[in-house]
Amino acid sequence: MSTTLAPAPSTPSAPARLRRVAALARGELRLFLRNRTAVANSGLLPLLLVAAVPALGIDGELPLGPRLLVAAVGVTLVFVTYYNLVITFVARREEMVLQRMRTGELTGLEVLVGTAVPTLLVTLAQVALVAVGVVVLGEWSAPVEFLLPVIALLGGALLMTVLAAASTSFTRSAESAQVTTLPLVVVTSALSGLLTPLSVFPEPVALVARLMPVTPVVELLQLGLAGVTWDGESVDAAGAWGAAPLPLAVLAGWLVIGTVAATRGFRWAPRR
Amino acid sequence: MHPSAPPVSAPVEAAPAIEVRDLRRSYGDFEAVRGISFEVQPGEVFALLGVNGAGKTSALEVLEGLAPPGGGSVRVLGADPVRDRARVRPHLGVLLQFSGLPGDLTVAESLHTWAGTLTDPRPVPEALAQVQLAHRADVRVRSLSGGERRRLDLALALLGRPRVVVLDEPTTGLDPESRRQVWGLVRDLVADGAAVVLTTHHLEEAEELADRVAVLRAGQIVLSGTKEEIAETQPATIRFTLDEDAPVLPQVAGVQVVAQRPRVEWHTRALQPVLAELLAWAAEHHVVLRALEARAASLEQAFLAVAAEAHTPSA
Repeated sequence: MSTTLAPAPSTPSAPARLRRVAALARGELRLFLRNRTAVANSGLLPLLLVAAVPALGIDGELPLGPRLLVAAVGVTLVFVTYYNLVITFVARREEMVLQRMRTGELTGLEVLVGTAVPTLLVTLAQVALVAVGVVVLGEWSAPVEFLLPVIALLGGALLMTVLAAASTSFTRSAESAQVTTLPLVVVTSALSGLLTPLSVFPEPVALVARLMPVTPVVELLQLGLAGVTWDGESVDAAGAWGAAPLPLAVLAGWLVIGTVAATRGFRWAPRR
Repeated sequence: MHPSAPPVSAPVEAAPAIEVRDLRRSYGDFEAVRGISFEVQPGEVFALLGVNGAGKTSALEVLEGLAPPGGGSVRVLGADPVRDRARVRPHLGVLLQFSGLPGDLTVAESLHTWAGTLTDPRPVPEALAQVQLAHRADVRVRSLSGGERRRLDLALALLGRPRVVVLDEPTTGLDPESRRQVWGLVRDLVADGAAVVLTTHHLEEAEELADRVAVLRAGQIVLSGTKEEIAETQPATIRFTLDEDAPVLPQVAGVQVVAQRPRVEWHTRALQPVLAELLAWAAEHHVVLRALEARAASLEQAFLAVAAEAHTPSA
């Protein structure tokens, strides 16, 4: 038996990466489906949202259909994707599952992506359920610009994943995640335009709010789905793209900040 | 080696499977590993012994590619386990001292999931049989006993047909029968040409399995060699019981008297000549040496001596 390895590229091939992530994701999905409470909650949240937004009469500049979809994406990204992933990553770290995963061929990034897949699938499924609800209610209208909501959903999901990974650096246990996630869950979502239109805030406050991590997702959704800018102005597709650079830049900026913070602060094992 | 494993280069004569040179690792100001060096050849078991906090796990984590070295170098099959991880990992099997598994997957599901992430996994039924868990394949991990969970850990570590195996306290928590089964597994690995590094608190385990041993104390190797070489660093022991009316014992060169009659204990580094002289004296004086014991030094004795030095203020 030889005791040296053949010269080979140190970077794994894309198919090998996908195969490994898919294998881990299948295991994680099986775990999720065995958690009846989580499965039930995942189905109930969209239904409650569809019922609650019209019932509560949440005011806004958008028609009901787009308003429901914006609320669905925003609430799901914050309360399902971000919150669940912080708890999942921390619990797996404290149980030494993450460290075990790193002893094999999976890279660190593959471990995180594979672990996050069920949560990301639930996010997409919940948004899809709300979209079906909107159609059933007869409130569906064609998006002003289809690409912007897609960017908002996918970019938002990616952002929540990296922010969840970054948040684990100051979260010691799954229980303490209830506290450490509060800044993003409460503060930034309150200032995102999700619950209250940004146009009602004084301009300096609105400007600060537009720089928060969840706000660009809401802005891009409103622009793409209903052609409504952050200050309530109606625009066409060209106008939607014209108003998109700032939220796109803020989203990209937070992705960079979140990725750097996650790369520097993420721990794979409990503190000794 | 399995035919579908990635190709390897031409054999290099006597190249070590693991090569550690002046390895250092620190946590802040605390230096956990202070310049250790060792090599492990294919088909060899190398045991790292040491009391808790000696630096064993910190050293292994570098070898496993889980942490970069603070200084020095580590080569696994000729490659850096951190920088060349994609090349090294398909050939490396790791059993961590502590690690978890999702409790709601069954034993078989855990193995299938792990197999899906490996380049060349062995069949899951074969892996289950290897660790005597075939009858527990459909049981959820959270329902396994501690020993069964450890055996599942081991099955996962060996699932990828590794050429280099790192076992951090592999039999902790196992009953004696399971421990012997694990020893059998390690011997099979070595017979197939794998290089094995293990840490253990069970000196009997090191005696059973290791070809060579290193004893770590405060991050440094203070003893290393074969079991026999290490044992020879400590004196042999002769014990016997002597009646009160027996003649005065002879003065034998090279003997340290540890206990006087009635239960006499001598330590010596020349067991055979001292024992021969004692028996000759007993025959000449018609003395019966009751409950006579003569024992060469053991690995345990050497380890305990090193551990005792670690606990003295001057150590």
